[in-house]
Amino acid sequence: MSDFATALESGVRLLRGLPRRRAHVEEARRAAAGWALEHPDLRAQLVVDERPGTPVVDFDLLVEDPRGGTVALTVQTEDGVPWLVDHSTHWAAGQLVSVDDVHLSVAQALTMIKSLSRRDTTPHDEIVDQCLILNEVADETEPVPTEDLQAAADEFRRGRGLYDRATTLAWLAEMGMTPERFETYIGGVARRRAFRRRKEAELGAARLAADPRAFDLVRAVWITGRENGVAAHTGDLARAADGGLAALAAAGDVETTIAERPALDLPEPLRDMAPGETVGPVPYGGAFLAGTVLARHEAREDERTLAAAGRAAFSEWLAARRARATIEWHWS
Amino acid sequence: MTSAAGRVPTRPAVRFPNAKYGEGGVILILSDRRDEAVEMVLAGLRRRRAPVTWWDPGDFPARGHLTVTFGDGGHRLVLDPGTGETPLDLAEVRAVWRRRPNPPTPAANVTDPSHRRHVVSQARFLLDGAWELTSARWMPARGETERRAHNKIVHMAHAVALGFRVPETVYTNDPRELVPAHGRAGGRLVAKQIDSAEFTLDGADHRAYTTVVTRRHLTSRHRLGHEPVILQPYVPKAVELRVIVVGERVFAAEIDSQASRTAKDDWRHYDDDRVRYGAHRLPGDVERRCADLVTSLGLSYGAIDLILTPEGEYVFLEINPNGAWGFVEQRAGLPVADAIADWLATAGTGEGR
Repeated sequence: MSDFATALESGVRLLRGLPRRRAHVEEARRAAAGWALEHPDLRAQLVVDERPGTPVVDFDLLVEDPRGGTVALTVQTEDGVPWLVDHSTHWAAGQLVSVDDVHLSVAQALTMIKSLSRRDTTPHDEIVDQCLILNEVADETEPVPTEDLQAAADEFRRGRGLYDRATTLAWLAEMGMTPERFETYIGGVARRRAFRRRKEAELGAARLAADPRAFDLVRAVWITGRENGVAAHTGDLARAADGGLAALAAAGDVETTIAERPALDLPEPLRDMAPGETVGPVPYGGAFLAGTVLARHEAREDERTLAAAGRAAFSEWLAARRARATIEWHWS
Repeated sequence: MTSAAGRVPTRPAVRFPNAKYGEGGVILILSDRRDEAVEMVLAGLRRRRAPVTWWDPGDFPARGHLTVTFGDGGHRLVLDPGTGETPLDLAEVRAVWRRRPNPPTPAANVTDPSHRRHVVSQARFLLDGAWELTSARWMPARGETERRAHNKIVHMAHAVALGFRVPETVYTNDPRELVPAHGRAGGRLVAKQIDSAEFTLDGADHRAYTTVVTRRHLTSRHRLGHEPVILQPYVPKAVELRVIVVGERVFAAEIDSQASRTAKDDWRHYDDDRVRYGAHRLPGDVERRCADLVTSLGLSYGAIDLILTPEGEYVFLEINPNGAWGFVEQRAGLPVADAIADWLATAGTGEGR
């Protein structure tokens, strides 16, 4: 047998012994590198074929033919694994997360990420929330009203600066979506928005009745920053109505907010306070906060208050729904 | 499928309206008690005031009782669902919908594995006999007929005999067939499982979807020897079609899987943002052939998968005698649930064939 034939036989032995799993590729590379050192004239290189959606990998060994050219060796041992099993993929290959009956593909998730808008939560949590709502609307078959579609499309385009047809078409091309698919996609967004609106309307009045004080309309001033800075300006808060606000506005070391909101939408330390009361400095959101309530009006069952109660109730409903859900991230 | 230990508590059998069977008799639905497809059809049966018993053979023999008595030149079959309700005389059943029944399950306190296997085998024997003697009409068919029709080799032969165009198809476990099939397909070959079955790889559940065969696949041809597969040339698609046949009514939904890189080779990868579903009007001869295929296999229901090629040809892939139709109703807006309710409710009345 020629030296080359002997080397090829040795190469086959090498390939037969390599572990065909993604997790052991480095081990395979080291083995192949060692073999290459033993056969320097062959300039051997290992090619790793990592298949998507499965831990199985394949190898080819490229060696230089002494007569010129390249010889590629590949080996599949007889390990008793049937052909389609060897070439199968993980059941969730191509999927990002499963939430109850909804299995979100990577492609769907990438599109969904483009529509995420909440700043008070992580993309992970918002994707799960969207999937929970998808579960709820899965059985809806009636068409989405045209005005809902239009509103969803307008909001979606505004959020991405797609103000004209040309930029919208360019964005769709970038996303790999046809205009027809975009229409279907927006239909889904509109259906989820409609569900949220219905649920907020359904739950709002009861939420307000259960805890009306949480929806009192409260005017408050608060400052946030480092503890020393907040402590230094807490006195200005106490005389907010008497020149204190002007002093706060000039303070460079704290951030000042003055707002009128339903109590539930204020920073937690301020929610239950009566007019004239001051709090702080207290730890808040990784910094410190001090604040005072300027005015507090009892909640009325008006549109604004019901909307706030609906939003709160929906968030609570979603949290409870999430707690009951089966959530499986496939790529973590 | 669930084990005895893992089963969720069984809800009582559904029975309505109470006692009065009406003119045609009872509709017996055999399916898992969480089957949403049954819920979709129940609404239509309620509207038709059809008496229904929904029972899962998976409750037998642990809870329910089945008694077949011979005497006086005849026989009597009585099903007691084990829920405290009046036992059902199977002679009163006009139609049976064999949807997704669970296999017989022994009681939890039958613990010896060999005893459990024995219970299942005895229970299955009695069930098969009782169903054979239940002279109602069946959807899609009794178990044995359904199993035969489900066999891809059997139903492809029926499809060819009825004039369906089918891809050149090889069912084989001979490794020597692979490379020639790849060559005949011009390098555009797909491989499929002969029957869907569960398996794991490194302990994780895996699936063998329609696989586009690459040259890499050819290098492991010897693995074909371990189990048979289906080899077919890749059929170019304008759209894929799921055709639902209920009795003689035919509903076709088109699945625009080509809009998705994820689903273009196998729509069961689902990419709902990109894949459009819609109603499809079949040419008259194709529609007729679909209904004839279901009839020729002894079925009253079938879910047929076709491809419509860019050249406008309808190519038959397979029929699933109990295949899913929920998405056809929900995404393509086709009234399949109502058609099933209609077929079941008109049994014994001479209508709805």
